[in-house]
Amino acid sequence: MTRLALTINGRAIDPIEVRDDLSMNDFLREHLGMTGTKFGCGAAQCLSCTIIVDNPDGTSDTTPTCIVPAASFNGKAIRTVEGHARDGQLTALQKAFIDHFAFQCGYCTAGFLNEAQVLLERLAKKPVARTELEKTIEEALDGHICRCTGYIKYHEAVRDVILADPQRYLA
Amino acid sequence: MRPSRREFVKWVTASGIALSLSRLGAAEPAGYPARAVLPGRQNWNPAADGRGRIDGVAKVTGAKLYASDFRAADLPGWPATTSHAILVRASDATRVYLGMDLARLSGALKPSVVVTAEELAKIGARVPEFYAGDLFCPVGKTPLYMGQPVALLIFEQFDAFDRARLALRDGTFVKSGEETGPVSVPNYAAFRFTRVAGPTPESPDVYSPIQAGWVTPGRLQDTTLPVWSSFAKETLAPYGKAARYGEQIRAELDAKNPAMLVLDRTFETQSVDPMFLEPECGLGWYDNRGGNLELVLGVQSPYEATESIAYLLGQARPPFKPAHINTQFTYIGGGFGGRDHTPFVLYVALAAMFFPGRPVRLAHDRYQQFQGGIKRHPFKIRSRIGIDRATGKIQAFAADHVLDGGGLANFSSSVAVVGATAAIGIYDVPKVDVTTVAVHSRGVTAGSMRGYGTIQTMTALEVLIDEAAAALPLNPIEFRRRNALKQNGRTMTGNPYIVSVRTPEILDKLETHPIWRQRAAEKARLAHSGVLVGTGVACVTKDYGTGADCSLGRVEIAADGRISIHCDHVEMGNGIGTALANRVAIHLGAAADEVSVARIDTYDALGLVTSGDPYTMDQKTQDAAARNPRWVPAISSATSASIGAHVGTHAAAEAARVIFRYGLWPAALELWRIPPSDPRARDFAKARWKDGQLILPGLAPLALPALAATAHARNLVTGAITHSFSRWAWSRARFQFGAEQHRAEIDALAVRRGSGKFTALNRVSVWFPPTDNNRIGTAYASMCGTLVRVEIERTTGALRIAKAYSVLECGQPLVPEVVLGQSQGGFAMGVGYALLESLPPHEGGPGNGQWNLGQYLVARGSDLPLRDLEIEMLPPLTPDEPPKGMAEVVMVPVVPALLNAIFDATGHRFNSLPVTQAMLKGALA
Repeated sequence: MTRLALTINGRAIDPIEVRDDLSMNDFLREHLGMTGTKFGCGAAQCLSCTIIVDNPDGTSDTTPTCIVPAASFNGKAIRTVEGHARDGQLTALQKAFIDHFAFQCGYCTAGFLNEAQVLLERLAKKPVARTELEKTIEEALDGHICRCTGYIKYHEAVRDVILADPQRYLA
Repeated sequence: MRPSRREFVKWVTASGIALSLSRLGAAEPAGYPARAVLPGRQNWNPAADGRGRIDGVAKVTGAKLYASDFRAADLPGWPATTSHAILVRASDATRVYLGMDLARLSGALKPSVVVTAEELAKIGARVPEFYAGDLFCPVGKTPLYMGQPVALLIFEQFDAFDRARLALRDGTFVKSGEETGPVSVPNYAAFRFTRVAGPTPESPDVYSPIQAGWVTPGRLQDTTLPVWSSFAKETLAPYGKAARYGEQIRAELDAKNPAMLVLDRTFETQSVDPMFLEPECGLGWYDNRGGNLELVLGVQSPYEATESIAYLLGQARPPFKPAHINTQFTYIGGGFGGRDHTPFVLYVALAAMFFPGRPVRLAHDRYQQFQGGIKRHPFKIRSRIGIDRATGKIQAFAADHVLDGGGLANFSSSVAVVGATAAIGIYDVPKVDVTTVAVHSRGVTAGSMRGYGTIQTMTALEVLIDEAAAALPLNPIEFRRRNALKQNGRTMTGNPYIVSVRTPEILDKLETHPIWRQRAAEKARLAHSGVLVGTGVACVTKDYGTGADCSLGRVEIAADGRISIHCDHVEMGNGIGTALANRVAIHLGAAADEVSVARIDTYDALGLVTSGDPYTMDQKTQDAAARNPRWVPAISSATSASIGAHVGTHAAAEAARVIFRYGLWPAALELWRIPPSDPRARDFAKARWKDGQLILPGLAPLALPALAATAHARNLVTGAITHSFSRWAWSRARFQFGAEQHRAEIDALAVRRGSGKFTALNRVSVWFPPTDNNRIGTAYASMCGTLVRVEIERTTGALRIAKAYSVLECGQPLVPEVVLGQSQGGFAMGVGYALLESLPPHEGGPGNGQWNLGQYLVARGSDLPLRDLEIEMLPPLTPDEPPKGMAEVVMVPVVPALLNAIFDATGHRFNSLPVTQAMLKGALA
């Protein structure tokens, strides 16, 4: 057992005893009721369960949660789909997903949102050339499975958020 | 034997269980008001100006929407904790099932309850006819199919469940004994569709299914496959006649006539999984104090799910028969047909009944979803086509289809029919003979899936057409044009389509597109690069509708102009809610403030009753039943994405039309001070909505809230509930409004005046589509054509789709962005089907419980031409052309187009799916 303490969406969670083989996905969904993070395959293949990990050095990564033990997140800070909007205001990325009709059933949306958000934050620190943009987005989002949409509208949504603020994201 | 896409037996009465069904409202995400899920004009409403979906905010904020999101603690009035169940399945269907060895679940891991066939027999549960077969394989029997359930294990605490499922993952605790071989079961369905046209297009057919009915062969012996010969002893006369015409057609194809090009080819398609992203899940709680069974489910067929559960428990002994079943339906994380009539819901109900007082959650993981979820039918197809060499016109077509339906019948007979009647695609063929048989196997059950038999048979056809064009030789698009069915031509069953047929336009678009025009240049450009370039084309049609579709809709307008809509169809990603809002806005001038889908609880005012099976009823029975002003052939039907626009929004649109005509329009006349005697009082059809205001030339525009307030103040119509039924045509009825009769494509109507209650109006007259329409294969269809250019590395066989173009027609698109998204998604699913996805049907296949996305490959972004896929929607023929279903047709042509492109690139014709990189590499070696 591990006494798990972590920060989720900026809020410290009181330490909870968890089994060492409890997956992070089940910790979020079953223990905390945070079902915005989805369960798709349980094999880290569809990435619908992806969340964001904020590292101490200021960088952020994404990680699947379905095959990763909750205990391995002890002391870490994570973000989930429930934490993007603040004070009832959607982020530019969330709005872009809606504006572009990026999703249909929406089950994969949390994973795409987290992946694209980390991409935006990475580009804000290390912009890319305009000519590299589409390729950069494709590489970042590839691996996330969407069975409904054919991916195009997700990519266009992310691209348009970046193009709307070129000074921030483009070299 | 007639295929029925939906069984609608009156189980409720027979079972003596009261049913109620409702839409489960989404729990609100932190910081959002309750209405954020369906924001109205008061909030930021992306749907109001076409900038998004009405469910958009909920989906980007992680709101609880799907069945898998809900636990008991989320549901008001439920106990706080949730127990969990595991559905154990047998992976060996060739040996006797001996039982489970649960020794590895000791101590805290021991399940609280184990439910097997023995327990089920004791309580007197009944299996609904649609799911005929043992719900649990009894000890001592060989499982009917791989993945047949053998037990439910119920665990009170999540931790015990979680540890147990890991301990049981390898499946070796399910014990098998003596080798028996697979269980033998008669085939699910066999049909023969034969048509011989008259000497001219105008003259009546010599023989057709419309004239003679659908026919099925008798059997000479106990074989799996039917005996197709017209001489079969037990053959009934109607079959013999079809068979004789069919044999003549085949004899002509065999005649070695030098004036005719005859191709005789085989084609095989594979089993695939719908791979909707949310595995099936449900939550149940049997509150044994009051005898209420509470359920939370996510399915495409809510009405059917609840009635099946009522039948399951309808004669159970106490305390296993609930007095009341209340089912709440959620959004679903993808469906694609695989959640239409799924037996999964029966096990959710059983889990709850066997652990009374405790909410129980049953959820597939992905391995279990592969093992137990509905699959697409694999087809074995033999096709023969005869073409007059001089004219390039197809003279005759014969085909034989064998479908592997897997372990349970499910929709196998229906898929067989739809696949067979699609076998000549977009073409006008004067002599057709197609046999089809759906067989049982030990494979996982196959059923409904997007494309529904047509993607299998039309892929085989369009590859054959391509080969025929090359052999004639004729330009492939010109060959298609010469043979395309015209607007008034007859389909294989002998009826014309009753919607637009725009194949010529689509072929013109394909022929002039740069991908097609530059195909030779592109091939030459990379001729010496080690990359083979090929361009392929295909053009198909896909029916939409099932021949017994229902639409229920309720629309209300408040005194302040707020609009709310209820609809019985399910949101499965197809944007039905947004489409509803947009279609109602055409009549009421504004986007709805509230749209509620999957509602089948708010139409009581109609007082509908039904009887019989709409697919098999005779005309006399229908006429007699229709004398009851509350009777309709069926009340509610399952949702598929392809009928969302056409069927799902129909009743709400008609309800909105009633509100406008008898509520807002008379209100407008009053505000304009136009008396009833003024000729302008009849000009309602000339009125138009613009920016929320009603416009009639020469008069002051009127804002919707003012109209609504007046309608309420004057006790005019402010709400309407309608029902309609389609059997390849909508029912029609007249209703009395004062001195006027309202004629509409509905068969039941209730209205609310002012803020009063809804009251049903008796129909003055009604016309239900004739029962002979059941002989139609399809009458509603959409067309779609696709071009693809592929580049294949000669050394590795790696294929890249360099460019693609799809052109489709869908009538009036209610939400163009959703149509575009469905088209892009259909393209992706088609690519997966053509190049990636495959499941071994039996041993080694998903029934073994070991399959997941690591082995099963679906199209990812990098498999697709994300920046080079062009979708074109033909504009509607007229501004008021009704919407047409398009969500299925868009995934079909990409498959044969890819195969034709591969041939163009490599010179190799593949006759099975999928065509993988390894196969390409082998062919190029």
